[in-house]
Amino acid sequence: MRVTMSAILILAAFLAVILLQAQHGETLPPTLYENITVSFEQDTSSKNAIAAILLNYRMYDTMFEALILLTAIIGMQQFLPRKVDMEGDSKGSIEEDVHEN
Amino acid sequence: MKTERVSEDSLILQITIGLLFPFMLLFGFYIIVNGHYTPGGGFQGGGILASLFIARYVIFPLEDTDSEVLHSLQRVFLAAIMLVPLFFLFTGVVAQYPAWQKHYLTLMDILIGVQVGFGLGVAVLRFAFFQGSGQTWHL
Repeated sequence: MRVTMSAILILAAFLAVILLQAQHGETLPPTLYENITVSFEQDTSSKNAIAAILLNYRMYDTMFEALILLTAIIGMQQFLPRKVDMEGDSKGSIEEDVHEN
Repeated sequence: MKTERVSEDSLILQITIGLLFPFMLLFGFYIIVNGHYTPGGGFQGGGILASLFIARYVIFPLEDTDSEVLHSLQRVFLAAIMLVPLFFLFTGVVAQYPAWQKHYLTLMDILIGVQVGFGLGVAVLRFAFFQGSGQTWHL
């Protein structure tokens, strides 16, 4: 019963969103789209609009994407053991480290 | 524990990857350098450069590549990715001199590509040698 009720609620919310969008179907003028597609070549002298966006218009996005990759690698370096850590009684050595600290 | 290493004895695999290796390097840098003319760019070319590490691991699964060195190189390249736009794009130097724009795009593509290549290479090597050891790890 609870599953059916929640399914009906989710469906009703979905339909309500679609109805709201159908009622307020306003079309915005494509200002930013036209601005970028018309003038990207003389702005950035790049033949490829995606490269122009990634490396000039949205440079912060690219910079912090690269930072996210570095963060992922740092986490992996921390939590995956090296071959040195795997040799011998690894669990005992870790407990010793804990007691020393 | 004896592990079967088919690839170390397979002459076909060694010769094929040995032939393909320079072409993979060339293809990766082709995609990186032509990032502002053709589809592609730094991230895609960096993924292809990381496949060099995978190919080397397939032939010789030796843990002689120090992943710390690759990781510190990645950090150096990330610092360059942060600093080059700071001095050349956000100050408006590139917008003032349009002749520099292509060089700026190429430089940024190369920096991003090499950084992503080193990063994915570190990830692949660490996961490969961790899974290949066949042991479990307790924190």
